[in-house]
Amino acid sequence: MLLEASEVSMAFGSFAAVSGASLAVEEGEIVGLIGPNGAGKSTFFNCLAGDMQPTSGRIVFAGVDLTRTSPETHALAGIGRTFQVPATFEDMTLLDNVMVGAFLRYPQPEQAREHARRILGLTGLGGYAGQRARSLGTPGRKRLEIARVLATRPRLMLLDEALAGLTPTELQQAVALVREIHASGVTLVIVEHIMEVIMTLTKRVLVFNQGHVIASGAPESVVREEAVIEAYIGRGRRKRRQ
Amino acid sequence: MRYGAVTLWAALLAYPLVLYNQFYWDIGVGLLLAAITASAWNIVGGYAGQVSVGHAMFFGIGAYAPLLVYHLWKLPPVAGVPLAIGLSLALAVIIGVPTLRLKGHYFSMATIAIAELIRIFVGTWDLVGAAIGLQGPAVGRGWWDLTFRSEIPYYYIFLGVLAVLLSVTAVVERGRFGYYLRAIKAGERAARSLGVPVQQTKLKALMLSAAFTSVAGSLYAIKTGFIDPESGFGILVSVQMVIVAALGGAGTRLGPLVGALVLVPAQTAINTWFGGGGTGLTYILYGGIILVLARFEPGGLHELWHRAAPLLRRRARAA
Repeated sequence: MLLEASEVSMAFGSFAAVSGASLAVEEGEIVGLIGPNGAGKSTFFNCLAGDMQPTSGRIVFAGVDLTRTSPETHALAGIGRTFQVPATFEDMTLLDNVMVGAFLRYPQPEQAREHARRILGLTGLGGYAGQRARSLGTPGRKRLEIARVLATRPRLMLLDEALAGLTPTELQQAVALVREIHASGVTLVIVEHIMEVIMTLTKRVLVFNQGHVIASGAPESVVREEAVIEAYIGRGRRKRRQ
Repeated sequence: MRYGAVTLWAALLAYPLVLYNQFYWDIGVGLLLAAITASAWNIVGGYAGQVSVGHAMFFGIGAYAPLLVYHLWKLPPVAGVPLAIGLSLALAVIIGVPTLRLKGHYFSMATIAIAELIRIFVGTWDLVGAAIGLQGPAVGRGWWDLTFRSEIPYYYIFLGVLAVLLSVTAVVERGRFGYYLRAIKAGERAARSLGVPVQQTKLKALMLSAAFTSVAGSLYAIKTGFIDPESGFGILVSVQMVIVAALGGAGTRLGPLVGALVLVPAQTAINTWFGGGGTGLTYILYGGIILVLARFEPGGLHELWHRAAPLLRRRARAA
């Protein structure tokens, strides 16, 4: 098992954002996390990335307990993440952005630059290496974030709505990129609202609602489950429909 | 840019020989001191975006230590320089560990508070001359006291220190450390997610910055042969570093030097025109610069040039 998060809970005062969520990911898998807004997906994600330390529970990655360690340690262990709202380094060039990630494994600037250029090429950003990140639109920034994480040579990538807000063509390209990353041996956990993406990319999804994992399994069967439909469209509406 | 930098250095080397006059030498030495302090501040304040407004604490330590070793043991003031660097590094660690966890304005406010506390404490501490301060050797006992009648030797010593500092900055800029500093400035959370050891990197930057600021303080005290709490630890010392760097372009290698080239002659002009009555005008000048930068060009003259240069080039080509 590559990642094993067991009974993870995260509370802010009396509000429990995540309650006893568990997730086990095998090397080479793509797992999807879905659920309505405010269901606790991003908080759970932040716990997995080391951005938040869970109130209780345990997170083990490649046999190492990372429950109470910093995001730096998570990155070093091989967990990379993107952000829901792209957090690119706006005044730095695309090459410099990716080099920051590359330095994690290549401390020498020449090696880091070479690696960063390779990654920019792989993610289709090679032609814009010298531009500042602020010159990119949302799709470009999301792609740059993926490139920056890839440069850290992660074993597990956590993509937080990395494909949201893209046009159908951009979405197709982004799905192809995610497939390519997966084919290169990176395991993926993705939070996504676009069901089409979840259906295309994942073989297993977890559904969050009000901080709990209410269902898990193959996406086709999960979306038919009573609890999942209720979470998305509500009990009253279903009753009215019946 | 390369030709520009070569021209700038050639001009700085030739300056005291071309403008052979005490008045211009004074301006030159003041300009270089402002450039050194602002460039030292720039490492942590500009590149890493941790805007310290209390760097006078390191400048003051640097200024007091040489005169203290002379005052206590009659040692040449320059012997106090390593002591000052050591003390500044220790202070950087002591205040950096807790304060560098603070974000944005809170860090700035904490540094102001610490520097002011030190200023008040030094002002009441008899060992360091309390409110009166300390004096260096009135007449040099030998070359090692570094008391020169002419300003020219000081000018070239200061220029040498500035060259070393800017070379170190260039090395920092090109290496992993420099990239990490800029990433921290752009977004700490994202930087941490990429494995950047944020606290450790910020602390290293503060230590490097503190060491050079302390050297600047030592140079000032050795040259003037006198220091008191206000000229060593006063808030205006800290504010000047921030303004000079921000005016030229914080987070750029030559920005602080460019800022000093503009600000120091402007200050001297005010002092010359208004004499003693113009002291308060320095504050007005600083306030005005802060307003203009905040409203129109937070990136300073460096950013302004980068935006204007392509337009000028296009216009020149069209003509």
